[in-house]
Amino acid sequence: MQLQVAADWVEAPLKAFVDEARAEVAVLMHPSGQVLGQFGFVRSVDVVTACALAAAIHASSGELGRLVEGKPFAGMHYAGPTKQIFLAPVEIADGTLLLLTVFDEESSLGLVQLFFKEFAARVAKVAPEFKSAEAALAVDFEGELNKNLALMFGRG
Amino acid sequence: MSSQFRDILGALIRHRGVKGCMVVGEGDGLIVDSTLQIGVNGTTFAALTASLFRKARRAAEAAGFGDAVFLELEAEQGRVCAVGKSGLVLVIVAESRVNVGLVRVEMLKATAGL
Repeated sequence: MQLQVAADWVEAPLKAFVDEARAEVAVLMHPSGQVLGQFGFVRSVDVVTACALAAAIHASSGELGRLVEGKPFAGMHYAGPTKQIFLAPVEIADGTLLLLTVFDEESSLGLVQLFFKEFAARVAKVAPEFKSAEAALAVDFEGELNKNLALMFGRG
Repeated sequence: MSSQFRDILGALIRHRGVKGCMVVGEGDGLIVDSTLQIGVNGTTFAALTASLFRKARRAAEAAGFGDAVFLELEAEQGRVCAVGKSGLVLVIVAESRVNVGLVRVEMLKATAGL
């Protein structure tokens, strides 16, 4: 399985996270759903779908957190019969990114949370350089989304 | 908050050289209860040791040896010991000078309470 990134700074932290946490799938994205890097998906349409769903879950759970706790929840974990997902925000200088992780019994929630912390620290260090160079949320969202997908999957 | 594992952990932490002990979920690697000295990173330790024990259990099964009973990891400056039952792992982290034989007996006895 190949790691695909839309920006160079994503590669090292995401690769380390996937290797250490033994994640099946890991997708780094903007809260808008714009993908920055991914591991585990083969088709670009699956990445787009996963990002859209993850962004929606994050928005919903964030509002639910504000409602019941006065602030957004820090992360979300769902355990299915064989696969589990962990979705958590990565705080960077200019805002927030999201990491969606899918893992199975080869890993555990504890391991994923442990290596997520390290991943978030690494991304926080390198992301500001990226942010100053390129807007996180482009006005032309669809164009930016397609550009990132083309960079990752080699299609225009 | 006191849990049903307080007595087990309290007995283990009193051994000379034991720096921390905890009950961890084998599947998720999260701490159920713990008694740790300052300087022991419980969350990290729990996640990694639970993973180690899970893999040791699978290795024992794959080798046809049955269930893993007792796991001991000897490092340069300390030891990690683990026993498991009912989806829980009882773990201690100790200095090299710890009496492993005694701790092992205590841990195996304690599995009845897991």
